Amino acid sequence: MSIIKDVQSGKKPLKRAYVAIFLWFTGRAIQAAAKVDREVKKEFEKLPENFTFSLGCLPDGPWMVVGREKGVVKYLGGDSRGRPVQVRLAIKSLDAGFLILSFQESTTLATARNRLITDGEIPYALAIIRILDIVEVYLLPKLIASLAVKRYPSWWTPARKFGGRIGVYTRTLLGI
Amino acid sequence: MLLPDYYEFCCRVKIVAGHDALEKIPDLLIERGAKKPLVITDKGVAGAGLTDIVSRAIGDRVDAGLIADDVPPDSDLRVVNRLARLYRDNACDAIIAVGGGSVMDTAKGINIVVSENAEDLMAFSGVGALKRPLKPLIAIPTTAGTGSEVTQVAVIKDHEKHLKMAFGSYFLLPDIAILDSRMTLTMPPFITAMTGMDAMSHAVEAYYCLQKNPLSDAHSLAAVGMIYRYLPLAVKNPEDRDSRLAMAVAACLAGIAFSNSMVGLVHNLGHATGSVCGVPHGLCMAILLPYGLEYNLHKRANVMAELLLPIAGEQVYLATPPEQRAQKVVSLIRGLNENLHAITGGRHARCLQEIKDREGKPSVPRDILPQIASAALLDGASIYNPEDTDYEDNRMVLEAAWEGKPLDRTRVKKG
Ligand SMILES: [Fe+2]
Repeated sequence: MSIIKDVQSGKKPLKRAYVAIFLWFTGRAIQAAAKVDREVKKEFEKLPENFTFSLGCLPDGPWMVVGREKGVVKYLGGDSRGRPVQVRLAIKSLDAGFLILSFQESTTLATARNRLITDGEIPYALAIIRILDIVEVYLLPKLIASLAVKRYPSWWTPARKFGGRIGVYTRTLLGI
Repeated sequence: MLLPDYYEFCCRVKIVAGHDALEKIPDLLIERGAKKPLVITDKGVAGAGLTDIVSRAIGDRVDAGLIADDVPPDSDLRVVNRLARLYRDNACDAIIAVGGGSVMDTAKGINIVVSENAEDLMAFSGVGALKRPLKPLIAIPTTAGTGSEVTQVAVIKDHEKHLKMAFGSYFLLPDIAILDSRMTLTMPPFITAMTGMDAMSHAVEAYYCLQKNPLSDAHSLAAVGMIYRYLPLAVKNPEDRDSRLAMAVAACLAGIAFSNSMVGLVHNLGHATGSVCGVPHGLCMAILLPYGLEYNLHKRANVMAELLLPIAGEQVYLATPPEQRAQKVVSLIRGLNENLHAITGGRHARCLQEIKDREGKPSVPRDILPQIASAALLDGASIYNPEDTDYEDNRMVLEAAWEGKPLDRTRVKKG
């Protein structure tokens, strides 16, 4: 009598594809925002040269890696390729990653539910969280961004909000 | 009360509380197969005769004669390594830590080194690096505040490399916490006041910050009620054993609450103020707590309102309209600070500008607030604060806390 069956976690190709595309897009958007937004630029300037961080899902991805190279912020793809990573923001599972990155669960709630794990020096991790928040405000419409960040920056000037958004989107799509 | 659909809670510390709890130590050690504990403490605790009380209580059923009483208030890696060597050279098999936060952290550091046979403590820093139980550790707090007898974290500094290493693991929880009223009977009133307010800030922040859950809530509510009632009594009558024991238990309850649900803005700004100006942690907590409540009130009014019941009792709770309860909690906590200020003859500062150093000079000059506001951006406690905080927000709260004026809540950026 075998009651216990092996539970297969399944491949979940759709969720995986969504998360991968989202991370790819966000990675390029961070690279773009580092050129367009003064605050993002300032945050990166405070980080050490060659600083690298990753965001992704446990146990086996997908991941997004962003790093500084000679003062320029670059999206490095889905793999750190041996580069040391100083900060790793890990979501506990692909399912949780899908919930968070499709904005069905706010980042605040995800933190409260212990679904986001931060590895690395806290001051650096906090800078990365601030950068991600700004990038999400650029990428997403207000209604959705309000879920993704703790507080939607309604005090931003129209120039920053709209001008910045056009700049970030153009650069993200062109990958520059 | 909020019902999150996922949370974690852990407190596996055996707690022995009473006016004669110390006498239980030999049994507890023998149960765990230990016969030769290393007792560690600091000069202040030993000077106040507290280690003598512990030694007498232990008697001669176990050999607790090895006492290291020179843990500095600002302990570091060198101290940990030196005392770990002492532990090994004398073939000890348990650690008894008598003191406040610095002694507890040092004890946890020593325990990692001796249990893991480690050469380099650094290899075990971060969260989850420890994989198995350590040697028996008995924590005997001598202040009623930090709650470190029930927390799973330790911070050890490396003064040579200018590093601060944080360790987090359930294995760092002491095996046993002994809460004995004799350990706090000689604590001076103004220290009693500020350490007690540290405990209050743990209980209150744990109750409204992001990782709150029904289990941490239960501990918070019990702690808030006890502290509000017994702290003024313990400050007024230092030798009142019942108030002392109540405060020791309340601080422990608050420690269990916050180590399972984390803290927010109050500790965020408090850590920064402490590191920039070197002022005592408890005093920062006492001053900043009302501001943490005010700053987050628009997001957490309902849960803050629930604190009114343990603080003010049923009659006041029912007589206060629901939408005014959170604000009432803020004013009662301000009132508690006023009361402590009066009982301590003014030594319990009510705002940042009132904090003085030993020579009577102000410890927090107003022009240093920008520096504190920036330093706070490097501290992780902000993660669990309900509302977001940036440099300007920190600045605004600090300015108000410096002057001692209630926060102008219309200026809080709500998004
Ligand atoms: Fe504290």
